[in-house]
Amino acid sequence: MSDPAIRVRSGAVEAVDAVRGGRLPKEALVSLAAFVVLWHLASMMFPPFMAPSWGRIWQSLVGLRWDFVPITVGRVLLALVISFGLGVLAAAAMYHWEAVERYCLPTVKLLMAVPVLCWIMFAVLWFKVREMRIAFILVVVCAPIFLVDLLDAMRGVSKELRDMVHSLRPTPKQFFAKLILPAILPAILTSWKINLSLSIRVVTMAELVGATSGIGYGLHIANELFSVADVFAWTLVLVLILMATQVAVTRIERRVLVWRD
Amino acid sequence: MNDGILVEGLRKVYRQKGTGVAVVAIEQLDFRVRRGEIVAIVGKTGCGKSTFLNILIGLEAPTEGRLEIGGKTPYGEFAHFRGKISAVFQQDRLLPWRTVLQNVTLGLEILGMAPDRQQATAERWLSRLGLERFLGAFPGELSGGMRQRAALARAFALNPELLIADEAFGHLDEVTAVAIRQEFLQLVRAEEKTAILVTHQIEEAIAVAGRVLIFGRPASLLAEVRPDDFSPQGRQRLREWIQQALNENRIVEPPPAA
Repeated sequence: MSDPAIRVRSGAVEAVDAVRGGRLPKEALVSLAAFVVLWHLASMMFPPFMAPSWGRIWQSLVGLRWDFVPITVGRVLLALVISFGLGVLAAAAMYHWEAVERYCLPTVKLLMAVPVLCWIMFAVLWFKVREMRIAFILVVVCAPIFLVDLLDAMRGVSKELRDMVHSLRPTPKQFFAKLILPAILPAILTSWKINLSLSIRVVTMAELVGATSGIGYGLHIANELFSVADVFAWTLVLVLILMATQVAVTRIERRVLVWRD
Repeated sequence: MNDGILVEGLRKVYRQKGTGVAVVAIEQLDFRVRRGEIVAIVGKTGCGKSTFLNILIGLEAPTEGRLEIGGKTPYGEFAHFRGKISAVFQQDRLLPWRTVLQNVTLGLEILGMAPDRQQATAERWLSRLGLERFLGAFPGELSGGMRQRAALARAFALNPELLIADEAFGHLDEVTAVAIRQEFLQLVRAEEKTAILVTHQIEEAIAVAGRVLIFGRPASLLAEVRPDDFSPQGRQRLREWIQQALNENRIVEPPPAA
């Protein structure tokens, strides 16, 4: 009889291997199948406006405005690239000049405490151009997270490695490119995962009130029409987008962080 | 480096971050090191050896006094010493995301050497240190001894004028430490480098250096001796004399006869 500890460990390793191999572990498949069955049972017990059948949801999926998907994804990616750029620049400045951190970080942390809903209202009041509103909301929410994550990671680079690289007398640019950037790469990728997940949710809210295109707007229309099937279909699309982006970042992670294996 | 190293009235005082209390790391240091000399510095843990090395490497400036290498201060003229000083630390300090080869080319990249020359130089040194089969390995895949060899290759690949070893062999097992220390010394002598080794192991200092500087705590020069002047029996007495000086933190009797 095998050791239970070994069985537990091998189960965990199996699950990790399965995910790494691009396959879902059997536990995830069972859980998803259970959800599908439960929803089907609910659709038989409740009226369609509460729990539409899978067939109705499929019809909604087919009839969705699929052109809204690249619009939303484009907004998210563009805003994340801008947020990341701003976050890196601000973190590098704070890392390099402590005074910048002392003066600016408290304000950044204050901004992070502002609820997303308030930012949406400010954006509607401040900006006429709809795209500006959405970009503003996403950047103001995501950039501080990049900044704080990356600054923490920069500060976490060990003194031993910093001294070793300094002993080779790099220029500030070389120091950043050869030590800091690669050292914080794991934190960069983790921050991207967090911000992707956050921004998908935020963009939906922003589009809900401040746009005439995009998935959030699609949800708004579905809500106006009392179409739970459409809401469900859009939700599925959002979840799939989020999963796809997470898989993409995980694959990049496996490729560039090969030294950690 | 033509004029060697000059240390004059060197003093370093820190302020503790939490309390702001002043801590003297270096009381007073005055000595010279000639070009091509191998000098060992011995002192107890916490005596300010590493602070002295940080000043020598150029990582920090002294509070008072001066340290000059060839008439220039390593902490004041940072870029001037690029490629001229290399250090091997207690831990190998290899960058975990770089392969062994890439770790050795790091200093050469900073120097701005052409990539093909970087690679050839790094491969030559790694091969000289027996790591030619591990060029593409990551540091995490190597043993402690192999990692320290890679760190040596990184230091020598720069072809520096001054080599500094900060307790570089102390954490390795005895057999590996002796082997790597021998490699280090052979390379230093073959390349006619100036070398400064910092250690708390008296045996090691006597075995490798032409001159041993004995540091008190906080760092000040208690005495300096030349092990080569001593017979094998004399070296044993010398070892005991240094140990006593370190324990008492002062010179209690004249050095033993050679």
